[in-house]
Amino acid sequence: MKVPWPLYLAWKQLFPSQRKMSFFSLLAIVGVALGVNVMIVVIAFMQGFQNKFRNDIINNQGHARAVPLARYAGWKEIPKLMLDTEGVKAVTPYLHAQLLLQSGNYHSIPFVIGLRPEDGDEVLPIGAFLERGMTRLRADDGEDVTPLPTIDALEDEVVFVSTQAANRLRVRPASVVQVFEGNSSQRNPASSGRVRVARLDPYVETAEWEIQFDGQGSCVARENISGDEFAWEYDKGSLDLGFGYPVFEISKGATPFAAGDRFLFQVFKANKIEIYSPRMIEQAKADEMVPPKEVRIGGIFEMPSQGFQMEALIGTMRFVEDMRGEEGACDGFYLKFSDSVARNEGSLRAKCRELELLLDEDWAIVPWSVENAWFFELLQFEETLMIVIMVPIGLVAAFAIAIALMTTVLRKIREIGLLVAMGGRRVSVGMVFCLQGFVIGTIGALVGCGLAILFIHYRDALMTFIVDLIVGQEGQVGVTQFYDFQSLSIAYPWESPESMSTFLVFALFAIGVSTIAGLLPAWRAARLNPADALRNE
Amino acid sequence: MSDPGHTIVLEARGLAKSFQLGEASVEVLSCVDISLEESSSLSIQGESGCGKTTLLNLLARLEIGDAGEISWGGRKMMATDSFSSTESILRTRFLGVVYQAYYLIPELNVLENVLMAARLAGGPDQDSTDRARSLLSKMGVGQKEKQVPSKLSGGERQRVAIARALINTPKVLLADEPTGNLDERTGGQVMDLLLNACEEENTGLVLVTHNESFARSADSRVILSEGKTHPG
Ligand SMILES: Nc1ncnc2c1ncn2[C@@H]1O[C@H](COP(=O)(O)OP(=O)(O)OP(=O)(O)O)[C@@H](O)[C@H]1O
Ligand SMILES: [Mg+2]
Repeated sequence: MKVPWPLYLAWKQLFPSQRKMSFFSLLAIVGVALGVNVMIVVIAFMQGFQNKFRNDIINNQGHARAVPLARYAGWKEIPKLMLDTEGVKAVTPYLHAQLLLQSGNYHSIPFVIGLRPEDGDEVLPIGAFLERGMTRLRADDGEDVTPLPTIDALEDEVVFVSTQAANRLRVRPASVVQVFEGNSSQRNPASSGRVRVARLDPYVETAEWEIQFDGQGSCVARENISGDEFAWEYDKGSLDLGFGYPVFEISKGATPFAAGDRFLFQVFKANKIEIYSPRMIEQAKADEMVPPKEVRIGGIFEMPSQGFQMEALIGTMRFVEDMRGEEGACDGFYLKFSDSVARNEGSLRAKCRELELLLDEDWAIVPWSVENAWFFELLQFEETLMIVIMVPIGLVAAFAIAIALMTTVLRKIREIGLLVAMGGRRVSVGMVFCLQGFVIGTIGALVGCGLAILFIHYRDALMTFIVDLIVGQEGQVGVTQFYDFQSLSIAYPWESPESMSTFLVFALFAIGVSTIAGLLPAWRAARLNPADALRNE
Repeated sequence: MSDPGHTIVLEARGLAKSFQLGEASVEVLSCVDISLEESSSLSIQGESGCGKTTLLNLLARLEIGDAGEISWGGRKMMATDSFSSTESILRTRFLGVVYQAYYLIPELNVLENVLMAARLAGGPDQDSTDRARSLLSKMGVGQKEKQVPSKLSGGERQRVAIARALINTPKVLLADEPTGNLDERTGGQVMDLLLNACEEENTGLVLVTHNESFARSADSRVILSEGKTHPG
């Protein structure tokens, strides 16, 4: 295929034969590329934040919440009814309450959520919250080896509290530290066998466990405070002494346990807190003796909550019912839908409406996007504002290109005359300049997209660098905690249509604007009288 | 050859052109007749400012005239018509142009400059590339095909410009003082090459020149003065 001559000449004027590239094209391309890069990166980062917030919100409250419009006694059949609807993946009932927690002289009035231990984590990722909230004790000669608590630990006398509430009340769940003795090789798990704590229930007592091997396939577990001893044939399985005792198990290493191998564990019992409900306080005013409810801390969790410090407590539904003094209450359901429903807002709303009709409109089913609309409108506003600010910057780049091309036209007036004299149509001669704008825009857009991909790839290093620059090394932790992310997840264009459209929109914008910038010079060139052009000095 | 001398390849009748200078209108050409036989050469002489360049521009349809008729190889056009794109297409094949100031495109090398004219005519193909090379060596600049114009001497530039003008085998070559920027000796060499090439290519030549001896080497001569042509 033959290249049309205006494109050929446009290309050659930007990339002349004797040099690699003209200075003008280099500057123009770099300008366009930087512009495209900045626009894409800013929007991609904002989308990254939006997606993060979206996921946080969905993790905190599911895809939708069902709220009864009137007090509804027969709520227990509702989950089944909803789960039979296509696209509904999980339904979890919940109760809310306002309670006063006390531990010694410290108090907290947290946001209380009551869930059912059996299905409470189907919508809310409680396990992940507990993992985020886990803070380990630090010791020079020991290691905190507390197993991660799970929702199974939740029962009517055990609650989880958020990091903020735990800090205020100065409480911790049960924990266990493995103590290392001087010059032992136990810190090196690769080569030698280890004893691990498989489970630590909230009822364990403070204790010191010493596990000593005899080198013949069994060992003795000794509790040093009480002096109790238990024989353990570790080849037959873990050592499970029942509730209130840690469960030990072994992980075999390359070398078997030798006689005299000793493992030492220090167990700290969980803190207890006292809880008062408003009803109890009323009763106390009436001079009735009401003992507070005593519960144990089963774990500390952290919900992603956009930097808001939040004191919260998760207990069982029955615990909350008990505190409220009601039976069979339900404040609503958290709902989770299949991906195909949740993917876009329209289908989400439609599904919610469908469920409302299914439940005879006794329940309002509010999608997360509606419940948090104010927040996303805010983000949308920010994004739009960004574009409104950036587009004029893009236009400034276009003016620069237009001026540069105009100068080229003035410099090349005689060549323009000659091209006409050699039989070039005047429209085609004009095209030479318009195409230069197009070529600059296209190459600039491609380079800009490439740069943006690089930026996205190295975003964490970049963020660390920026944070470092502003607040220094120490501030790093605080900023990471406030924004609540280690690594912002930003999709590459081949990963999500949203990202692809961002790249395409800005690339096409740059190409369009550069081409339009070439139009004025092109029109100027095409309008020249060839005879006058040839006479030009 | 079957008597080529009698076919008229380029002809103009009653060409007139005046320029507007503020209020006043300056008549440069009042009634010019010209005809060029196939493969022959015609020189035009005249004082500076008498309208020679204007005449060539009218013949090439790069300027709109006030009156007159032009014929390119039998195709008649009114000098007063506005430019058309069919003319442009015709011009690539019919006319070659050479100017005093060469007008090579600085971003292209010598070979690309010559082939640019072929591109305008819908090329280039392998034939035109071969032809460009042979024209360049005929002009004595075959060794310089990769060179850029800014590194060439004036004489070399004009040789390249002549090769470019001939690449599409035009019927007529319009040359406006092609040796005007060159010294006597170089000018002579370039003029010899130009005349020889036109003869070999069977291309008619309209040569505007101030040089008496160059003018005399053309098959026929006219002198332009007071807006009219006079036989030389
Ligand atoms: N666009 C124009 N507007 C006004 N006057 C013009 C224009 N073009 C040419 N002229 C005038 O027309 C006259 C003829 O100009 P032209 O260039 O044809 O002369 P010439 O014979 O080629 O002269 P020279 O030998 O110096 O090249 C000059 O007086 C010039 O000033
Ligand atoms: Mg002249």
